Amino acid sequence: MKRRKFLFHAGALAGTAALGQLGVFAARAAPADDYKALVCIFLAGGNDTNNTIVPIDSAGYTNYAQVRGPLALPQAQLLPLQESGGVLRFGFHPGLQGLQNLWAAGNLAVVANVGTLVQPLTKAQYQSSSTPKPATLFSHIDQQHEWQTSISNVSSSTGWGGRLADQFNALNVNAMVPPMISTGGNNLFVTGAASQALVIPTSGSFGLSGFSNSSGDAARRSALASLLSVDRVADLTMAAQDVMSGALSSSATLNPILTATNTTVTQHFTGLTTGFANQLLAIAKVIEAHSALGAKRQVFLASLGSFDTHTNELATQQTLFAQLDPALAAFHGAMTAIGAGSNVTSFTLSDFSRTLAPNTGGGSDHAWGSHHMVIGGAVHGGQVYGVMPTLALGGPDDAGGQGRWIPTIAVDQYAATLATWFGADAAALTTVLPNLSAFSPSSLSFI
Amino acid sequence: MRARFVGRFASGVALLITAAACGGGGSGGSAPPPTPPPPPAAPSADTQRLLEQATFGATSADAVHVQNVGIAAYLTEQMAASPSQYSGFTYTPHTAPSNCQYHAATPTDASSICARDQYSLFHVQRQLFMNALNHPDQLRQRVAFALSQIFVVSGIEIYEAYGMADYQNMLLNDAFGNFRTLLEDVTLSPVMGRYLDMATNDKTDAALGTSPNENYGREVLQLCSIGLYELNPDGSQKLDGSGAPIPTYDQSVVIGFSAVFTGWTYAPLAGAASKWANPINYDGAMLAFDTHHEPGSKTLLDGLTVPAGQSAAQDLKMALDDIFNHPNVAPFIGKQLIQHLVTSNPSPAYIARVSAVFADNGSGVRGDMAAVVKAILTDPEARGDTPAQSNFGHLREPALFITGMLRSLGGQSDGVLPRALVSGMGQPIYTPPSVFNFYPPSFVLPGSQTLAPEFAIDNASTALARANFVNTVIMQGGASPDPTVTGSTGTTINLTALAAAGDSNAIIAQLNQSLMHGSLTSAASAVILAAMNAQSTTDPLAAARTASYLLLTSAQYQVER
Repeated sequence: MKRRKFLFHAGALAGTAALGQLGVFAARAAPADDYKALVCIFLAGGNDTNNTIVPIDSAGYTNYAQVRGPLALPQAQLLPLQESGGVLRFGFHPGLQGLQNLWAAGNLAVVANVGTLVQPLTKAQYQSSSTPKPATLFSHIDQQHEWQTSISNVSSSTGWGGRLADQFNALNVNAMVPPMISTGGNNLFVTGAASQALVIPTSGSFGLSGFSNSSGDAARRSALASLLSVDRVADLTMAAQDVMSGALSSSATLNPILTATNTTVTQHFTGLTTGFANQLLAIAKVIEAHSALGAKRQVFLASLGSFDTHTNELATQQTLFAQLDPALAAFHGAMTAIGAGSNVTSFTLSDFSRTLAPNTGGGSDHAWGSHHMVIGGAVHGGQVYGVMPTLALGGPDDAGGQGRWIPTIAVDQYAATLATWFGADAAALTTVLPNLSAFSPSSLSFI
Repeated sequence: MRARFVGRFASGVALLITAAACGGGGSGGSAPPPTPPPPPAAPSADTQRLLEQATFGATSADAVHVQNVGIAAYLTEQMAASPSQYSGFTYTPHTAPSNCQYHAATPTDASSICARDQYSLFHVQRQLFMNALNHPDQLRQRVAFALSQIFVVSGIEIYEAYGMADYQNMLLNDAFGNFRTLLEDVTLSPVMGRYLDMATNDKTDAALGTSPNENYGREVLQLCSIGLYELNPDGSQKLDGSGAPIPTYDQSVVIGFSAVFTGWTYAPLAGAASKWANPINYDGAMLAFDTHHEPGSKTLLDGLTVPAGQSAAQDLKMALDDIFNHPNVAPFIGKQLIQHLVTSNPSPAYIARVSAVFADNGSGVRGDMAAVVKAILTDPEARGDTPAQSNFGHLREPALFITGMLRSLGGQSDGVLPRALVSGMGQPIYTPPSVFNFYPPSFVLPGSQTLAPEFAIDNASTALARANFVNTVIMQGGASPDPTVTGSTGTTINLTALAAAGDSNAIIAQLNQSLMHGSLTSAASAVILAAMNAQSTTDPLAAARTASYLLLTSAQYQVER
């Protein structure tokens, strides 16, 4: 009964097949105030993480600058990242001041050289044709999908965020909104077995316009709803009906929350006007209202694009980080202010990193393993997890000759660490991350 | 009954379209005195469906015309119609002068208007809607719009209006030519050159440690021609001995094409000497500087090696021939055009029939786009009064959703409101977020294998934006003229004629014909009828507005089958 209610609110596809798939969830006791949210920050286009976290010590920087040539960031501009014991190996891009502060406060961890893998892969194995490798390396959409699904050998119609949320349907049974919410459009990461994310607007109101209290308008509104439940024969028509059904129910619930202007979280975004900041503000507002919404586990997705810097990379990445950095810092501040700092964890995803070798156009090209950031009060921050690749063209970590790092941490391991924090047990992990057993350890310690 | 229906629905614009089409594509000349036309046959559902697939929205006048001349003759007329062009744009320097900057505080001052007109796609986007509503070459525009979503450039980077206008004019001109011509024109387009970085792509510089930019070399293969995996003519993947799909190329081939596509820069500005590299200029095709062309040999598709030492132009010809002759092009491009025009889920047999025409138009010519488009639209799977498959059809993409309602209900627009509100529906015109377009052709409905590309941008936010657009135009009277736009007419749909059709049943019958090709079910009709009958009887348009709103916002209309 309650599950039926959830399905209605989620706008999920009705039908017996969908119900059957939703039967899989973690039956797991949880305290009444238990709430957790994962916020995926998708950096679309392939963020160049060679210039996101950079060797800052003398020998490391000299080597980096020599290989990077015209793309090298000046050493003096790097923002130092002190590690425990006074070790200083790396600096952030100069545009990441807010993230440097989060690192210093222990709320941000860097995970090194994460990427799509079918199984652990040495360079020798990569060069042999017999070892399974991820499909269609270096292709934007395919590598995005492999990051979003954590499945690199076959295509999948569900994402790991969606499958993870599916595991908590029982816990979310009283939620008035779907467990997955996106400000970055439809995205495979937040697509589950039978539902996809609710996509909320980041400005303006959320709902149908043009209805007064007149009896005529009431009849028209009622008819609009009725048309969603007749003619349920053709696949695409039904899909469009379902999207609208979900929009009507969720927007009625969320519109007052999204249009609120003076709440605890809004104050943290004062002065931030970018579209990306508005995305995180909208997510912050939903999290702020999670108790009223009855949500226990939520998976969010925000997206920032244009990281595909084949040309003009230095200026473009600077511009994008100027949007990313203050918004992420404000978001963490807002979460802390509402007492949810340790209940909410943000993390980055991206298509791939970019070649260490510059191209002739002032940019770099599609590569593979990349470094990622995890932010939140529960994060064991101020540390780099994993092993940074050797920055040498044709070196031990290079898949070719231009600096395409063979990952040393699989997306599956990165995801498993976050999913475990979220509350997934070992049984749930096998559903969420079907290839996880190929990697050891299955979970890292950054959170 | 039918004649009365036509008379009430045909706007002046629609009548003009018919006149031009009947006159041989509006190509002019002294026509003989008109003879009285034969009495029109009632447009069939199939005729309406053809117009939904081939135009920016079925009008009653076009329906009568197609019914009279037949689909084959109509397609021939359409292909002969002179191409619409984006007009009124001239070169502007890439960096806007100080008196052409946008000021958020004074958006209507002269400088802001200048920036809007020259350094944004405002007028190009507006013209898409105006041309789609008013110009006779509907099929060419439809195909060019589809091509703009396969050979993608974006206003995110190409914000100069004249540049985007040039590029779209090229697609309009090439829509019914040969695919090989299209491929070369796109490749040498300075707009594509800028967007995917072939412009001023230089050869390897060993001292700097730089190598050729891989952007165009990769994406022209992946998105514009052959895709990632070897295909059968029916669009299915070829499989190797272990049942795995076979990649069409590897990184060495990307590097090979990237090296081929070096040594090209913009045409020089008028009066300026040409040099490496010329400043950004979207007028005229790119030209070659062999001294900046990668000199070595290059590995291309299926083992073809381009010998060392050729000129940039020689390399380019070999490379484009290599792509064009790859067997994947037929199903890869053919399937996407089917998806844009007809259905998201064409059967393998349908794709194979279109592929065969791409491979040979019947006269031994490969890549004849006119023949391919004709094959797509006349295929038995596309034709008939009702589709056979439950997964047939496609969600009307936002631009077509807007033009469809305006054309079918006799509306008019200067494009200002549509271009503004189409963004909230997920399709800012000519401004997709990346080279992967607004939606990928491979998108499937969650939890299914049903292809549904346009659903990649259908979600709670965009679905409500569609409904709220209908509210603005149908319930709130549309948009007034914009005083900052010369010749602005606003956006309106006059429902007086529809309201005069008769009682609620008569209004529904007319809408069923014009919007739904007669497919409205009795269940849906009853729902709409009840809402119409609940409206105030003192407002003569209330019932017509209610019915129009409900049909246009319905999934039954928005999914075109």
